[in-house]
Amino acid sequence: MTIPTGQAHEAAVVAVRNLSKTFVTGFLPYRRIASVLSRFLPSSPLFKRVEAVRGIDLTVAPSEVFGLLGPNGAGKTTTIKMMMGLLFPDEGSISLFGGSVTDPKVMARVGFLPENPSFYDYLTAPEFLDLTARLLGIPRNKRAERIADMLELVKLTHATDRPLRKFSKGMLQRAGLAQALIGDPDLVVLDEPLSGLDPIGRKEVRDIVADLAKQGKTVLFSSHILSDVELLCTRVAIVVNGRIQKIGSLDDLLGQDVEAIEVILDQVPPELETALAQRGDARKQGAKWIVQLPGDDDPAAVLQAAIDVHARILSVQPRRKSLEELFMSQTANGSSAGGPASEDTGASMDHQS
Amino acid sequence: MNRILAVAQNTFKEAIRNKVLYALLFFAVALIAASLAVAKLSLGNELRVITDLGLAAVSLFSVVIAVFIGVNLVYKELERKTIYQLLSKPLRRHEFIAGRYLGTVATMALLMAFMILFFVGMILLQNGTVRAALCKALWLSFVEVSVISAVALFFSSFSSPFLSGLFTLLAFATGRLTPQIHQLLDQFEQGIGVSLVRVFVATLPDCHLFTVSGAVVGNQWMSIHGQFVTWRYVAQATAYGLLYSLVVLVLAALIFRRRDLV
Ligand SMILES: Nc1ncnc2c1ncn2[C@@H]1O[C@H](COP(=O)(O)OP(=O)(O)OP(=O)(O)O)[C@@H](O)[C@H]1O
Ligand SMILES: [Mg+2]
Repeated sequence: MTIPTGQAHEAAVVAVRNLSKTFVTGFLPYRRIASVLSRFLPSSPLFKRVEAVRGIDLTVAPSEVFGLLGPNGAGKTTTIKMMMGLLFPDEGSISLFGGSVTDPKVMARVGFLPENPSFYDYLTAPEFLDLTARLLGIPRNKRAERIADMLELVKLTHATDRPLRKFSKGMLQRAGLAQALIGDPDLVVLDEPLSGLDPIGRKEVRDIVADLAKQGKTVLFSSHILSDVELLCTRVAIVVNGRIQKIGSLDDLLGQDVEAIEVILDQVPPELETALAQRGDARKQGAKWIVQLPGDDDPAAVLQAAIDVHARILSVQPRRKSLEELFMSQTANGSSAGGPASEDTGASMDHQS
Repeated sequence: MNRILAVAQNTFKEAIRNKVLYALLFFAVALIAASLAVAKLSLGNELRVITDLGLAAVSLFSVVIAVFIGVNLVYKELERKTIYQLLSKPLRRHEFIAGRYLGTVATMALLMAFMILFFVGMILLQNGTVRAALCKALWLSFVEVSVISAVALFFSSFSSPFLSGLFTLLAFATGRLTPQIHQLLDQFEQGIGVSLVRVFVATLPDCHLFTVSGAVVGNQWMSIHGQFVTWRYVAQATAYGLLYSLVVLVLAALIFRRRDLV
């Protein structure tokens, strides 16, 4: 029995190895020339090099919802663009479904929503989706139905008559999501899918992503909104400064340990209030009392005291380290500003008098 | 092929939904109409003047519009980031270039048809007839426009619209003046420098081939009013135009193939 060679790779939907990308900017009009020249003249005042991505490794398994998390300028979009074949890596490799990103067969299985999407603004949403569907090779007789489904899914059925120019930011985001999903892709890559959406929109998009996960699709998305990542992702990578600082399941990253237990009480009678006021770990917030116990403490004593005086116990909640806190600590490790250190080769502007 | 057609159709839509295009078209038609007024001054030679001016107006305005559309073909997509959603689809980069080009040529065909309709209407109004020579001249003009579109797209694949426009118009002007340039070069001492200039001129599109009315071809004076080029000449010039466009497009695709879409 022979195992197809693709088998081993197919195990990973996305495999990124040692990915690096440096942007060269400067006075030269043509990026490519600048980029080539800058290799030979590394310390010339003509160029400014920004190491956007510096050796990223990541693997996304089938049916995973993977979050790429990082502050502004961390290199998330750059990484994603390389994964979509829009930018060429300086170093490293990317394979999707074990194939190359330049292979149309591979890209037919991928749906992509760019960051701050901007589409052909002279098209209406159905026309735009029709273009996308044609590029994906969806046969003519199936297109209309598929387009209607997608408009339904992203709640744009009321706006089929106007060109995308007249769409609001959130509507554009929805149109973008529709074009990403119209080909029924196995891998969905979303660059900040929730930005620009109102709270209802956010929930709807979250539901769509959750639904994709339920259908067994692989989803990779970037965000700096932690709660969304926390809700949706099975695994996250924290990218700071073009490098992955941490990667793993949320449980791995956040730890199973309960950091604290929070007990919230209401209708606390005066005798208990005086007792609570004497505790260092209790504070009053409005009419409620919040008692914060160490993670390994047993809340039974506090609860018993509350029961004894018929106070209402509103909640007893274990608090884990939040993604927020993890994020902050990782960002602080990276660089103070959060952006990648631009390796300003050679003289800077103030040198040329 | 389907994907190329999808891109081409979208390019066509983009062009015809662009309001600037209508302004240009309006000027073109106005200029053709104005040739009527000029013709009236020519006392008796009206038809001749209308034909000459009209042909020149159709040709020049078509080139200008082709440059206007062409220089934006790649740049605008990058600028507006619309290219991200296109090229993240199963669309190869050369298919993108081909689709953009075909869409532009289709747009130009429509626009030129519109201008020509107006032009022919004016000729018929003056009791003129549409002779084969005029058809040949108009066809050659369309071939020229297709070549110029390809050149504009080529420059657009790596530079800004302003520079692309400049380069394309320079190539166009130099191309039209090819015989004059060679005449000029003949007066210089023939050396390596002159040869290099000749080679350079040869790489530019020989637009002169497409505008033969009022020029000498094969020792004969050509005019759409009298003796004009043969169909054979038209076929050869068309073949040259096709080949030239193809080479330029292949180069554009090669440049674009490895370009970072930032
Ligand atoms: N075209 C470009 N030319 C030069 N530098 C660039 C270019 N694109 C991105 N960069 C730089 O690369 C770094 C990473 O940018 P990137 O857009 O990948 O960040 P990001 O993680 O997506 O940030 P955000 O959360 O704000 O979207 C930034 O410092 C940015 O300035
Ligand atoms: Mg980004």
